[in-house]
Amino acid sequence: MKPFDFVKPDDQEGVISTLVAHSPRVRILAGGTDYLVELKHVSQSPGTIVDVSHLRELRGIEEVEDGLRIGAAVTHTEIMAHPLIEKHVPAMIHAAHTIGAVQTRNLGTLGGNLVTCVPSMDSGPTLVALEAKVTIAGPGGSRCIPLTDFFVGPRKTILEPDELLINIVIPKCNLGKPTSFYKFGLRKGQALALVNAASSLWVKGGKFKDVKISLGAVAPVVIRCPKAEASLEGLPISQDVIQEAGRIAVTEAKPIGDFRASLEYRNDLIEVLTRRTLNSAIQTANQS
Amino acid sequence: MDVKLTINGEEKSASVPPETTLLRLLREEFNLTGAKIGCDVGDCGACTVIVDGIATNSCLMLAGQVQGRSIETIEGLANMDDYHPLQKNFEDLGSLQCGFCGPGIILSAKQLLDDNPDPNKEEIQDALAGNLCRCTGYTKIVEAVADAAREMRGNRKAA
Repeated sequence: MKPFDFVKPDDQEGVISTLVAHSPRVRILAGGTDYLVELKHVSQSPGTIVDVSHLRELRGIEEVEDGLRIGAAVTHTEIMAHPLIEKHVPAMIHAAHTIGAVQTRNLGTLGGNLVTCVPSMDSGPTLVALEAKVTIAGPGGSRCIPLTDFFVGPRKTILEPDELLINIVIPKCNLGKPTSFYKFGLRKGQALALVNAASSLWVKGGKFKDVKISLGAVAPVVIRCPKAEASLEGLPISQDVIQEAGRIAVTEAKPIGDFRASLEYRNDLIEVLTRRTLNSAIQTANQS
Repeated sequence: MDVKLTINGEEKSASVPPETTLLRLLREEFNLTGAKIGCDVGDCGACTVIVDGIATNSCLMLAGQVQGRSIETIEGLANMDDYHPLQKNFEDLGSLQCGFCGPGIILSAKQLLDDNPDPNKEEIQDALAGNLCRCTGYTKIVEAVADAAREMRGNRKAA
């Protein structure tokens, strides 16, 4: 690794003033499971690395007025074991469990997974299907934006070099909403998703209501599938309409073919995973 | 930077550049070479150690991140007279061949058994999914963890 300065400010204010003072030659470190790998291969020093993993504002999971607030530096292992996640958004437990392996989940953070912004991130689809928002803080104060606006491209988010992701909020109206996440990777551990997907929905009188479908690893960023969602809205539940929604979802994605999977294979997976997540969410809805 | 931490119950300190990983710190400053440099990018698990009770890849932590924390390495698990039940069962079953992955696997297994004294096969496999072995395959490794868990539960009842 190239030499760098390592700082660990006491609070959020200290982090932001450090970011401002050193921008753009400054990087934020939380879990480090992705960034350290990058750091070992870069030819230029990052300048200053700011450790934010301990910040009070970035820690903890709690119910707030708007919904469920999850600190950006909460680890995947903490998500898997938290009673409020189990109560309100159990699909996040399943999604967290599919990330890396135990060691990665013990260090890696939810915020880090979003900020790293690889198209196959396993935290993305569930949060997008639940219309999550994110809070960003910078020298000018803080703002709250939809997660879908946070993603810009592969490894690129809306964050400026002097800004910090503080927390993720699942809106109150979506707490307890039946949701299902599915990842297709080539192994159970340490595998990137070839395709991952999440669907959330309510069932009212045997009909679809507020269907949200999200896909990962099939476009430059995690996407929503508004046409597939609209095709189901208000219709009585049947396998025919679910199959059709899967076919429509394929038209909304732009997957690539690479050494992990061909374009055709990913398109097939989009159909299958859209159906599976819809069916699984319906099953959850019918049980509750 | 100056780093103070606890390793296997003993307070230690070192002065190292910030770009030093926990793995290099253990191996090069404290001569604890049980944690291995395998892939050095968090895939293989050969560098696994336990930090404040959780298994982590020491190749993915910087010295500054372990300031004031407590580290358990394979060297702290036993001495030559008294093996940890995991080590004894790995030996009894011949679970390791070259042994390079052993310290990491045993520490991942130790964290599992600390949290869950009675894991099923699937839970053992899940806990070891981040540790690669390229010699023997995993069957005897998983069996040894299950045997060690059984032995440790017996000991706890007796105590």
